[in-house]
Amino acid sequence: MTNSEVVFSNREVDPGELPDYRDVALQPVVAAYLPHALLTTGGFWAVVVTVALVAPRLPFIGLDLGWWPALMLVPAVWFTVLTWLDVRRRGWALREHDLIYRSGVIWRKTVIVPFARIQHVETASGPLERWFGLMRVKCFTAGGMMADLSVEGLDESLAQRVRQFLLEQIRDDAEPESSPQPTDLAADDHV
Amino acid sequence: MQNQSLRRNPPTWLPTTMSESEWQRLAPLALVFLVLTGTQKFVRENLFLFVGAGAGAAFLDWMGPRELLLGLLAVFLIIVASAMIYHRRFRFRLEDDAVRVRRGLLVRKELRIRFGRVQNIQLGQPFYFRPFGLVRFSLETPGATEKEVELPGIPMALAERMRDRIAGLAAVDTEQDEPAADRAEGHSDRTLFAAGSWRLFVHGLSSNQIWLLVGAFAYLFGTFSERVLRRLADTPVAEDIARTAPTGWLLWLGLLVFIAVGLFMLSGLLSLIRFHAFSLVDRDGRLVGVGGLLDRREQTVRRAKITGLTLRQTALGRLWGSWYLLVRQTRSGQDEMNGARQGFIVPGLRRDDTSLVGELVPGWQVPEQFALISARYRRRYWLLGLILFSVPLLMLSIWLGQGHPVVLLVGLGLAITTLITHLRYRRWGWALDKGQLWVRQGMLGQSLDVFELDRVQQAQVVQSPYQRRHQLANLNLILPQGTVSVPFLPLDDAAALANQALYAAETSMMHRV
Repeated sequence: MTNSEVVFSNREVDPGELPDYRDVALQPVVAAYLPHALLTTGGFWAVVVTVALVAPRLPFIGLDLGWWPALMLVPAVWFTVLTWLDVRRRGWALREHDLIYRSGVIWRKTVIVPFARIQHVETASGPLERWFGLMRVKCFTAGGMMADLSVEGLDESLAQRVRQFLLEQIRDDAEPESSPQPTDLAADDHV
Repeated sequence: MQNQSLRRNPPTWLPTTMSESEWQRLAPLALVFLVLTGTQKFVRENLFLFVGAGAGAAFLDWMGPRELLLGLLAVFLIIVASAMIYHRRFRFRLEDDAVRVRRGLLVRKELRIRFGRVQNIQLGQPFYFRPFGLVRFSLETPGATEKEVELPGIPMALAERMRDRIAGLAAVDTEQDEPAADRAEGHSDRTLFAAGSWRLFVHGLSSNQIWLLVGAFAYLFGTFSERVLRRLADTPVAEDIARTAPTGWLLWLGLLVFIAVGLFMLSGLLSLIRFHAFSLVDRDGRLVGVGGLLDRREQTVRRAKITGLTLRQTALGRLWGSWYLLVRQTRSGQDEMNGARQGFIVPGLRRDDTSLVGELVPGWQVPEQFALISARYRRRYWLLGLILFSVPLLMLSIWLGQGHPVVLLVGLGLAITTLITHLRYRRWGWALDKGQLWVRQGMLGQSLDVFELDRVQQAQVVQSPYQRRHQLANLNLILPQGTVSVPFLPLDDAAALANQALYAAETSMMHRV
């Protein structure tokens, strides 16, 4: 007898007529994301390769592996190329009722989050991201750890606007029962 | 009905007319409960120290029994002392639409739970509470890492009034004509399902806890068998065993069967104790499950707070034709890690009882047929298994010779993997009926998930290069109770399901959770 049943028992929907998420033209990520992604991935692997090359030659280890550790360059180049391809493929879009985010090169993943299911939104940026003027938008939904979507590759003003837009959407269709309200009061709350 | 057995007259020392809006304390007997749960917690958290790597026996040898006793006594005293402080500081108060709790050992915490958020109300009555008419009352809200409010040791009458107030208040949202207060008194109970002792026993036989018991037994056997055998060697029994040596294997077989039967019996009995006289009742539209011998538990759930159901049959359950049903609700990330929360289980079902699904959520029924996933799933994983196993198989057979046991073992591994892939492939299935999606999976056993598409929190479509070549995709639907996935769907089906789920979620204004 809940509302949901009323909403659902009276609809017969032709799946073919529903809007298809695949038809949406996705926005590419901002240009500054490419150097950032390459720098983080390349930087990580540069450290790994350097350690692999230098560590055996340190006096207190004194292993002579020759140039074999240079083989580490193979995964380093591989992952850097993957990152480059990934950035070119990454995309996002806002529809009237949901947020679409696509990522991945080998395993290609598209995530669609309805605004009505977002519980809260936050923006985040690390030091390196700030250097490039980038910002992430994180959306949280119910359903555990897997349920947090992080939209990467937006610049700061864009991220702020997206966040603002999402917050407005959330507020619009919030119902009284689910309005954000702390259930857990701070320790010093009692009178 | 069932409820009557729980009810006792409240003790005279606690006036029932006490205003519920005042700050109240727990009954003195709650101390027993706190001490017991404290001890339980201590054992659970420190068991691994004792058990770890067979250290227990060595520890016992190293430490004298007297020191051990002294240490345990000290721990027990600490537990009792903290329980007393906790009990002293604990206060709770009922408000119009919420319950407030003040508690804390060192840091004082105050918690306020709005009734509207509550998704599960539990009343438990451990046997030592029964003579005093006390119960343990707990409320669960979505996203909570633990039961947010637990009131151990409050009078039954108060707990029942609170339960009715919480569940009744919620009913006001949809049925405004009837004031909650009127409805609270006369319940119209309708029994949906009652499990007899035999079925509960069978539930225990098929439950996965048997593997836990086997593990525990193997551990104990491994630790103590040596000592027992050493001691046995000095007794006349040893001579008897020595005399039967030619037929020794028969003895061992007999022992093995004896142990297996014993463990199964134990598992069955544990289930009997846990669920004793289980019944599922519809009380004014709410679902109530009652059962338990030593700790009689009653769980109340509003139908609107059910996010899905899971029908499950373990591999052993297939032998017995035994199913069970899980009522799914929003859960937190924490549960996935430790799975600590005891869900709402309906045990001891048979194949015909699976129609109970429709009683729990009107309109739901187990579909006759499930659409299978693409056969490429099987082909893909067969190929992967073959590649994974064939290289070591080839190398080992060259190195050790073809008939070597290790080679045979790896070959057996390949055969088993192939079989498992096939079994899993055959189980994967889905069926869409109006707004409800059924997903079936499993290997020897099976698990059927059902939920309404509008509960979907997120849709994910994932494709590997292989899947892209063949127009296939994995679909992950994230629900408040966790993620349900279907692999190797035709891309168009996956996209259509995702689109439908999104449409359903976006047109329904309900359940943000």
